This record gives sequence, C-alpha cells and structure tokens, in this order.
Amino acid sequence: MKYIKLSFAILIIAAVAQSCNKVIDLNLGNDSGKLVIEANITNVGGPQYVTLTRNVPFTSTNIYPPVTGATVGVSDDKGNNYPFTEISPGVYSNALLSGAAGSAYTMTVTTGGAIYKATSIMPKAVVLDSITSKTNDFDPKKHRREITVHFQDPAGVANQYRFLLYVNNKQVNAIFAINDDFTDGRYVNLDMNENKTDIFPGDTARVEMQCVDKSMYTYWYTLQQQQFDSPGGGVAPANPPTNITPNTLGYFSAHTTQSITLVVK
Amino acid sequence: MPKNPVNKKIHLPQIFTMVKTLLSTVLLLATLSVFAQKKYTISGNIQDEATGERLIGATVKIKELPQSGTISNSYGFYSLTAVQGTYTLIYSYIGYQPIVKQVVLDKSQEINISLHSKSELAEVVISSNKPNDDNVTSPQMGAEKLNMAQINNVPVLFGEKDILKTITLLPGIKSAGEGNTGFYVRGGASDQNLILLDEATVYNASHFFGFFSTFNSDAIKDVSIYKGDIPAGYGGRLSSVLDVKMNEGNNKDYTVQGGLGLISSRIKVEGPIVKDKGSFMISARRTYIDLFLHASSDSTIKGSSLYFYDLNAKANYHFDDKNALFVSGYFGKDVLLLKNTFGTNWGNATGTVRFNHLFNNRLFSNTSLIFSNYNYAVEDFQSADYFKATSQINDVNLKEDLQYSPASDHTIKFGLNILHHSIAPGDITTNSSSSFNSKSVEQRYGYETAAYINDEWRLNNKLTLLYGLRLSGMFLLGPGTFKTYDPAGNTITSTTYASGALVKGYFNLEPRVSASYLLDDESSVKASYNRNTQNIHLLNNSTSSTPTDLYVMSSNNIKPEIADQVSTGYYRNFKDNTYEFSAEIYYKWLQNQIDYKDGAELLVNPDVESLLTYGTGRAYGLELFFKKKYGRFNGWIGYTLSRTELKFPAINNGAYFPATQDRTHDISIVGIYQLSKRWSISSDFIYGTGNAVSFPTGKYQIGGLTTFSYSQRNGYRMPSDNRLDIGATLEGKQHKRYHSSWTFGVYNVYAHRDPYIISFCDSKTVPNTTEAVETSIFATRIPSVTWNFKF
Repeated sequence: MKYIKLSFAILIIAAVAQSCNKVIDLNLGNDSGKLVIEANITNVGGPQYVTLTRNVPFTSTNIYPPVTGATVGVSDDKGNNYPFTEISPGVYSNALLSGAAGSAYTMTVTTGGAIYKATSIMPKAVVLDSITSKTNDFDPKKHRREITVHFQDPAGVANQYRFLLYVNNKQVNAIFAINDDFTDGRYVNLDMNENKTDIFPGDTARVEMQCVDKSMYTYWYTLQQQQFDSPGGGVAPANPPTNITPNTLGYFSAHTTQSITLVVK
Repeated sequence: MPKNPVNKKIHLPQIFTMVKTLLSTVLLLATLSVFAQKKYTISGNIQDEATGERLIGATVKIKELPQSGTISNSYGFYSLTAVQGTYTLIYSYIGYQPIVKQVVLDKSQEINISLHSKSELAEVVISSNKPNDDNVTSPQMGAEKLNMAQINNVPVLFGEKDILKTITLLPGIKSAGEGNTGFYVRGGASDQNLILLDEATVYNASHFFGFFSTFNSDAIKDVSIYKGDIPAGYGGRLSSVLDVKMNEGNNKDYTVQGGLGLISSRIKVEGPIVKDKGSFMISARRTYIDLFLHASSDSTIKGSSLYFYDLNAKANYHFDDKNALFVSGYFGKDVLLLKNTFGTNWGNATGTVRFNHLFNNRLFSNTSLIFSNYNYAVEDFQSADYFKATSQINDVNLKEDLQYSPASDHTIKFGLNILHHSIAPGDITTNSSSSFNSKSVEQRYGYETAAYINDEWRLNNKLTLLYGLRLSGMFLLGPGTFKTYDPAGNTITSTTYASGALVKGYFNLEPRVSASYLLDDESSVKASYNRNTQNIHLLNNSTSSTPTDLYVMSSNNIKPEIADQVSTGYYRNFKDNTYEFSAEIYYKWLQNQIDYKDGAELLVNPDVESLLTYGTGRAYGLELFFKKKYGRFNGWIGYTLSRTELKFPAINNGAYFPATQDRTHDISIVGIYQLSKRWSISSDFIYGTGNAVSFPTGKYQIGGLTTFSYSQRNGYRMPSDNRLDIGATLEGKQHKRYHSSWTFGVYNVYAHRDPYIISFCDSKTVPNTTEAVETSIFATRIPSVTWNFKF
C-alpha cells in the first residue's frame, strides 16, 4: 500500500509550497570495482541475457566497465544446461533457452576466481489485460496523465509482479513492485504513481508486466522503498537483498513478460 | 492450550519478598526519626491568588532548618513535619511574590497560601529573598520544568506557542526535524518518550506531520521533562517523561481568553462552578488553512479539507479540605481530504477522572481512572481502488499514588498502576469492485502493571538521597492466534489462546537512585542510576514518522526494551541563584532494540513480528546549561555533545553504526527581554550538526535504471543546520475588564536553507552523470501575527 505513503508525501509538499531543490557537491567515498550481475530469464523465446559489469564511484560518468571472459551458464531442474556465450564485452547470451512455468533455474557465473550461484523459480504467467490513461490525481491543472494497469490476480496463489513503464521509448525512473497480499483474487486496477516523468496526451506509453518469484519481489520492493526519496517516505538505503551467493550486487530473475503499448489521449 | 508459563528468569515470590523488605526498611527509617521528639505537621494548599489555580512544585522552606523543606505536589498540596518550635516559613514559586510567615509550631496546623503573580502587581518588585535553589540542592537530575510564561515568549513557527518546539531548545532534547512528529531525548528513539496530559498517555503528540503540537498552551499549567533519573512513579518508556498538567480553571471569576492568528485561532473559557470550591475550563483551537482552499476555482481543491482541531475540557470540585474530584478530557483530530480522491484523519482522545483524598495531614492520596485512545483512518474514494484502512489503540488505566511525609527529612511516594491495552493493528474494508480485499489483523490485548516506592531522604545538610524501586510487569493475553518465528522469519509454532489466557509475561525490576552532595551554598555534585523498561513499541521502518505507525506490545517474539542510564553532574548558581549552571554527563545502555528486515511491509500484516530484527545500543553525552530565570532579561544557553550508536547482527555487518538521530553538536540560545512596560522582545538561535544518514558510495545499472551502492549504514552526515527566530509582544493598554496584546514573529530570519533530505539521481543538465539534490522545506523567512484577547 505505497499509495498511503506517496499521498502523505505529496500532500506535505503541496501544502507547504516553500520547498525547493538545489544541486550540491558531496564528498562521497569511492566504492568501485564491485561485481554486478544482472541475469534475466524470461518465458518468451529469444536470446536471454546475463550482463556482468562493475560499479563505479558516484562522481564518475555512468559508464560501467564490463567484466569479460567469465563463464556463465544456466541449468534447469530437469538436468538441462544452457551455456551463455559472450556476444559483446560483458554481455552473455543464450538463444535457445525459454523459461517454463514452475521450473527452478540455477545460474552459475565464474569470474575472478570465484563462483557465484543463484536460483529463481519461473512463476506461472498472469495475463495483463490492458492499460489505460486518465487524469493524474494530484495534478489536474497541468493536464498530466497517469497510466493504470488492469489484470486479474489468481486467487489462492501468492503472486508477485514488477512493472516497467516507458514513455516515448524512454524508461521512467521508478520501480513498481507489488504482491497480492492485499489483492489476492481481485481484478486489480493499479495506478502507476510516479513523479519523475510527465505524461501528456499524444505520448506513447508502454508497460511491461513481469511475474517474479518471492525473492525477486523482495529485491525490487526494497529498491522501491528506498527510491521513494520524496519527503515522508523512504527506508534507510542499503544494498537490496540479492539472491546470489556469495553476496554481490545484482540479481538473477526468472520471470514472465508481457508488454502493452498505448497512445495516451 | 497455553503452555507458556510466566518468564521463569525472575521468581515471583522472591520479588515480593524483596519489595516487602524494601518497603519495611524505608518506613522504619522514616518512622525512627519521627519517634525521637515531638513533631508537628504544617500542611495545606498553595494557589494563585487571582485565579485559584493550585501551584505545582511551589517551594516551602523553613529558614531555621535549612535541610528541611518540601514542594507542593501536582494538586498544590504540601506537608512539612518538624520538631516543636518557632519558625519562619518561606513560600515561593517562580513568577510570584514569595510569602514569609512566622509560625509557632506547637500543634499540627493547616496553612493555605495564596501567592500573588508578579505580573499582577502594578510595579515590578525585586524580591529580597533568594530565588529558588532547588536545581542545586535537589538530587533530581536530568530534569527541567518549563515556566509557562517563558513558553509564551519564545518565538516559534507561525506564531503558535508550542511546548514540543520549546523543549527542543533545551540541551539533550532534539527535534525530529520539520515534517516529523516526535523528538529525541539523549539519543533515544521518538517512541521512547512518555507523553502525559493530566496523566493520560498521548500517543501522537503532534498535528499536521509535526508542524504543530497537540498542546494548546492556553490550557497548560505546568510542564516537566525528565531526560534521565526518571522518578519511580513513572515508567513504560526508556528515554523520557514529558508530564503536562492542564489548568484547572479560574475558581473566582469568569474569563474568556484567546487569540486570532494567520494560521489558527484559539479560545479558552473558564470560571467557577461554585466560587472557591469548584471550577471549569474549556479551551479549543482550530486551524483554517483550508478556508483558502475553498476560494479556489478548481472543484477538486474547492471541496478539499486540510485542518486540525483540539478541545480541552476540565472541571473540578473540592468537597471539603480532604476530598476533591477532577474530571478532564482532551479531543483532537487532523483531517486531510482531497475531494473524490483520498482522505485521512487521525486523532487522540483522552479522559481522566481523579479523586484526591487526604487521609491525614501527612498522607495524601490520588486515585485516577484514565482512558486514552489513538486512532487513524485512511480512505481511497475512487471506486476502482476503494479501501478504508483503520487502526487504533485503546488504553484503560487505574492508578493509585500516595505521598507520605512522616518527617522533614523523608518524603515517601508509593503506588500502583494497572494499564490495559487493546490494540487493533489494522483493518481494511473494501467493496466488491475494488482492487483490494478486506483484511483484518487480530486485535491484541495486554496489561502493563507496576508497583513503586520512592523516598527522598535528607541525611544531613549536605547529602540528599533519592532512592526508589519500580517493579513492572507485562502480560500479553488472548484471545487470538500467536505465532513464534525464527530469526529468518519462518513460523516455528502457532498457538491459539482463549480470552484472558496468558500468552507471555515479563517482570522487570527498575531501580532508580540518585544523590546530591552540596559542596557549598551555591554548588553541588550529583549522580544517578536508572533502569527503565518499555513494553509498547512503535513499529515504523521509514526514515520519517507518519500517523500510520503501528504499536505492538512485548510478546513471545518481542522482548521488553531495557535502558540503563548512569549520569553525574556539577551544578552551580551565581548571584544569589539568579543564574543557574549545570554540566551533566550520561551514559545509556540499550537492550532489545528493534529494526526491520529488508523489504518489510508493516501495514496490516498479521506476521509483522516475523519482519523484526533485534540489537543493542549505547548513547552518551555531555550537556551544558546556563540559565537566567529572573529579571528583565532572561533566557538560556544550552550545548549538547553526544553520540548514539546501535549494533545489530543483521545490519552493517554487525558493527556499531550511528543511529539516525545521532547529532554530534547541538546549541540553542534563547533570550527574552522586557523592553518597556508594554513591549517585550525575544529571540532564539539554534545550531546543530546533521543527522546520520546513508549516502551512496558508488553506482551501477540495474533494471535499466541508475542504482546506487552503499558500503555502510549511516556513515555520513546531513549538513549542519542553523536558524534564528525573533518575536515581539505588545501588551495593550490596561482596560477595566478587557486586555489585549499583539504577538509578532519572524521564523528563520536570515532565510537559511535547512536541508530536509538529500537524494541522488541522474543529472538533468549533464548527461550520463549523477548528482546529489538537496531539498529543503523552509528556505525563506516566515512572518506571523497573532492578536490575543482576555476578558
């Protein structure tokens, strides 16, 4: 129910209209060179990707050095192994693997003399029915729009979802992770509340819905609670709990995917 | 079937034996001195001459016996026993002209005193008697009593006189920041403060996210804050007690008093029910920011609401010299409503009935029955998303407090406290077309009990000892299903209990001792040791507090929080007690502190106790305080140097990390000057180094978005903040039945940007880089004007 915290946050800002922002310089430490593994297996055929990079200091440009020459493989719980080959620096792919609902996949990455493993279970796909647009609740004057997703949550099963929003092909800098603790069995109409990108009539909005497993939901939800950096919300930031051992930045996610595009009216 | 007996670590029969032995020893020590010579008792009430308000903490001293003396209790009653003789009694209270009385003590007698307020007098009279030196002589440490006249002069935001804002100007007490409820005392978390309004617990002491407190200063008579060395009569929270007592009401005359301000207005009506025997007081306050909303042309804004109100009501009646009845209540609510979209409201309601009975001139009793309720509701009106979430906590409390003054060198307080909690952690109701299911978390019930005894013993004219013991108990009861979780959060056992069955019990002994040793007439050293325990915990995993915070009791998963505090200090007065100076250092050990697992969702979650993780903490510091309480110019300077650290196996690799509220340096300077007969000016300045905060040390890309990496928890500091406020009061010309005044103020005079939050994101101006953005709420100066009246 992040709606509650978001509403408080926006009401504080709206009611006390004296707030202002300023870019500042901070002397931050130099945490860099740590391994980042981003591994995704979807239920849609086509190349699956594992990206290996390293993190950089805060003040550097957003270019993350790739980790080359690693050995990457994914196996399923039926004894099949899918090796990944490096197609460009730091990007490893396999064109034959397509995730099946209910299967547990294990990823193994060997690099720098260490072996990293993670397991993720591909959930059963839940269909995203449609997406719609409406006037933004909190800003009617500016004609801003808000996207709402519509789907039926299966009753009696624990479901976790993650949504990605793209406006005019640019990803909105917000994380949307929900589970069905409050919505089990209901027809869900979820407003994608965010204040990072304005959506106006004529924009093209694309929503990707992923069904993710429990540990990946906790990963995205933790990031969302921290990314929620407007006043009135926000958990003390820390690295989100990864499902990779030994501990490293990043994650391994086996999830379903489906996208719908809409021209906003 | 319940099979969990009471926690066997401390055996009940042994405790009772210990308590009985302690009680007998104390009473024996006290009565021994009584039987030595013929002694008589002077007792009575001390009140304000003009209004009949009983004065709390007024000092009664015997000039010939410097080590004797007492103060009036919460009801204005005092009792002083001395050997037969002729004495000079001095009655005094700050802001009032002292009274000196010659008394021939050859029998016990009742002496009631009416003190004249200094502001009532036509001229300012310089007292020839020593102002109060209790801060040097009393063993009570780590405590401050606020003078309501001073609170009324300290300039604050929007011109709203505010107790909570004023106490953060004292050393050792820090504000939780703009937009946050709560305050931190000696490094403790904001739920570790016990806030009492006429003995009823106030769970959420602020309105509108911390911008205003729930206390209407017009209705307040006395405020005391205990930062350490908490007297044995108080318990239930680790870090502090804020004891607020309301006015009883003028029992001589009817008056109407109030003020009209830019943001809010207030009114107070009081008067006698029966002259000199009973009185009533009703006061109310409301903001009207939303009236401006109604002027909007936009229909959504026009139909929206944003306001809060408070209502305080009291009545009392003195049947005779020995019996009095007091009834009081508080009701307050905050409402935010965005038309057709979303609404929320929260509020406290308290009610107390108290009965004073004087058994004899040495034994005073107060029996209180207290109700306290805190509730909130959040409602989303849109049909596709409809839900209403509610939560509340209800307390019923029975207290018996007795005060026994057998001799001039002993004052004994003892009593019992039984408090019943009934908590509804969360209920969601929806309709069939909503995205949300109805959901309900089981109600929880429990008792917090305590028995205490405490003696203030003046051994000789240099050494005074304050020693006491509080035995506290916590009993979590059924009905309900209770689960026990392992550290990973998995359910180990699940047991269902019948109504009233004991699920878990805890006992804790809390020793409270302190001593003061007079070095000379004007200086002393003191030391104290306190143990406090806490059985009700506020769960909130965000960096700021919201009204939707969740309260849980100690349980089969959550142990009572424990704090042990030692402190020592040096106290020195100057120029006949006109200036007071103190230097106190303290060290606090904290056990069973609570933090949260990653991704914890606390809202309406029946398994919320599986999301908790536990650790310890330590807080230590130095507080310097220099104060001038008398004369045309008064004010204070306070400085705190402190550190608070926590240690959790699951966080920061198990190493100590600074708590969010850890702030190294904190300075406040307050000055109030009576410029002329009608003008007074005031000002306050604060400076504090920043809170501890987690900043990223690196970055990477995840999920297509720039994501930040962290190497430690709370390893950085927010920038320091500082602020200057000024105010002025113009008293109107004195009319016969009517008096008015104007209060002006400017908050944040040099428009300093106090940073509220620092966030990190991709730069909008320089592509492919990230930047830090500082947001502040009040980056400008804010003037205020209030017109006050009194009939």
